[in-house]
Amino acid sequence: MNTLAESSTVQSRESVKMKSPEKEALIAAHQREFTKTIGEIASPNPRIAAREVNVYYGDKHAIQNIGLDIGHNEVIALIGPSGCGKSTFLRCLNRMNDTIPGCRVTGSIRLDGQDIYEGGLDVVPLRAQVGMVFQKPNPFPKSIYENVAYGPKIHGLASTKAELEEIVETSLRRAGLWDEVKDDLAKPGTSLSGGQQQRLCIARTIAVGPEVILMDEPCSALDPIATAKIEQLIDELRELYTIAIVTHSMQQAARVSQRTAYFHLGRLIEVGETAQIFTNPRHPLTEDYITGRFG
Amino acid sequence: MNSEVSQVLSKRNLDIVNASLKRRHAAESRFRLYGLLSIGAGILMLVILLGSIFGKGYRAFSQTYIGLDVHFDPAVIDPEGLRNPEALAGADYNALLKRSLGELFPEVTDRQEKRALNRLVSGGAAYSVRDEVLAHPELLGGTSRLWVSAGPDVDMLEKGYVDRDAAEAERIMKDRELGWVDKLKADGRLERRFNVKFFTAGDSRDPEQAGIWGALMGSLYTVLVTLVLSLPIGVAAAIYLEEFAPRNRWVDFIEVNINNLAAVPSIVFGLLGLAVFINFFGVPRSSPLVGGLVLTLMTLPVIIIAARSALKSVPPSIREAAMGIGASPMQTVFHHVVPLAMPGMLTGAIIGMSRALGESAPLLMIGMVAFIVDIPHSIFDPATVLPVQVYLWADSPERGFVERTSAAILVLLAFLILMNGTAVYLRRRFERRW
Repeated sequence: MNTLAESSTVQSRESVKMKSPEKEALIAAHQREFTKTIGEIASPNPRIAAREVNVYYGDKHAIQNIGLDIGHNEVIALIGPSGCGKSTFLRCLNRMNDTIPGCRVTGSIRLDGQDIYEGGLDVVPLRAQVGMVFQKPNPFPKSIYENVAYGPKIHGLASTKAELEEIVETSLRRAGLWDEVKDDLAKPGTSLSGGQQQRLCIARTIAVGPEVILMDEPCSALDPIATAKIEQLIDELRELYTIAIVTHSMQQAARVSQRTAYFHLGRLIEVGETAQIFTNPRHPLTEDYITGRFG
Repeated sequence: MNSEVSQVLSKRNLDIVNASLKRRHAAESRFRLYGLLSIGAGILMLVILLGSIFGKGYRAFSQTYIGLDVHFDPAVIDPEGLRNPEALAGADYNALLKRSLGELFPEVTDRQEKRALNRLVSGGAAYSVRDEVLAHPELLGGTSRLWVSAGPDVDMLEKGYVDRDAAEAERIMKDRELGWVDKLKADGRLERRFNVKFFTAGDSRDPEQAGIWGALMGSLYTVLVTLVLSLPIGVAAAIYLEEFAPRNRWVDFIEVNINNLAAVPSIVFGLLGLAVFINFFGVPRSSPLVGGLVLTLMTLPVIIIAARSALKSVPPSIREAAMGIGASPMQTVFHHVVPLAMPGMLTGAIIGMSRALGESAPLLMIGMVAFIVDIPHSIFDPATVLPVQVYLWADSPERGFVERTSAAILVLLAFLILMNGTAVYLRRRFERRW
């Protein structure tokens, strides 16, 4: 089965070179069949529904025919070896890929039923709805207060200073950072420790009032204690937000998520309840990965 | 056995490493020596340059003055007795000075000798007397001691440029004149004072009347025009090219051209300015406005290139952070990227402005090399700039201009240091960590 999957990649690479439309349609149909995801991609109450998503970086076909729902108030973990396309897929969900030159996205991604790749859709409100936390903590080189207040300010979410202060406080409280920084909100955000910086970034994302939070390996630059704090935070935030998290740590995926999606070489191999994926994977590639045979 | 092999191997490796250590250390100390030598050579050149400029120039900051008892004779100054300022300004003050000198040296009667005697006092001294009278009309009728600039020869003698031991025929000052000067000195009528005129006057044909103020103001206005035009245009162009422009062949073409323009000889910009700004648009010739426009053309590529590299060096994570919470591209750029790139942009602007301030070749083309006595009061007045003033004085035959050339260079350097110091201070204030 393993070799089968690899031979299909070889095939798809060769097939890119042939360009006639009929052939392309044939190949696309073949790939759809061949890359069928194991497990239930649909969710009974989806917030985000992605179907047949393909991403190309120039000639490179980075992710192929991915369909996945992300439900309300769930944490979905995207796992897989490096270069499998999980971050690319995540960045499609708030169109952060737009900034990459040569990147092209096809297929449909719906947020609450609205196609976010529809022509004429403004990415500004989209990104306010779908916030993002990055791999490396990236606070603005400004004060802690300014970091959190910036989003609400540019979106005009607070009409008075008191309201803004309230938003900042709630966001920092939700990010579990308030008690640590309440006395020095004027200190630069970059002076905090790595874990605190990452929580500041989460607070900054929350401050805009998003529905979905995308996290791209949020703990990869942090020590175990800071990681534990962030994981606990993710669990608490689930009540209010839908969260998609890309992670390299399978333990983390197992700890924080309800569902898990396994990506391999640009394809979504298997989706399922986290418990099921980690105890009883159905696809051999998934099994190999979670048992640590590669990746 | 396996461990034995590895031990032997590691022993051999250690030997090889040790053997190469000496060579590596030698290479390092050699490189340090080269570095020290280069820095030493650079510092030596700088010391020689500054030493020679200062050595030649410091004397220009003092000037010899002669104290004369001037009788403000109403018959000469104000024959009509109306105290009319226009009439007062037009009077023959030279006659008063001649009379005072004549009273000091009554033995001089010969026409030619008298002329030589009058040359002890600067040709521009009459203007100082006029200014004194215009400022204090109550002096009229009385006599008071006025200190007026000495002539160029007396000044040179006082500053030690005249060899008293040389044969009389080879000296610019004859024995007779030396005698007069010595008598003046003995009477306490000869003094070297701080040369205020050098810092307050415009250019002049007489070295003792020539000042740097006109060129300084010209430079100030020119650099101001350059700054006001090139900084916003350059930064806006850089921001557009770096942050908003699509990546295509046109943008590549523009980029190549900007890089080329940065290397175009400045005189070409001068010719362009002459053809476009003066001949086509009719901007006043010799004015700081046209100078500033030409220097803007010259400075723009430097500022654009520096600003672009400053923008490029802003970490992409900052852009992502701003975009991630829904900032529009414009907000991302102006709230986050530009403030972080500001120090780098300012550095580029400093380099550009310093080049503009020190530039003379393009300004020769647009008439800023003209002999201009008046001090410019706006960007439309004819003016010259410091480097061109240096060029003009360096070209003058009078001995007094040699020291003034060096002094003008010192003033130019001081202006540069002041400007760069301000810019460095501003850059420090904008600098932030991320």
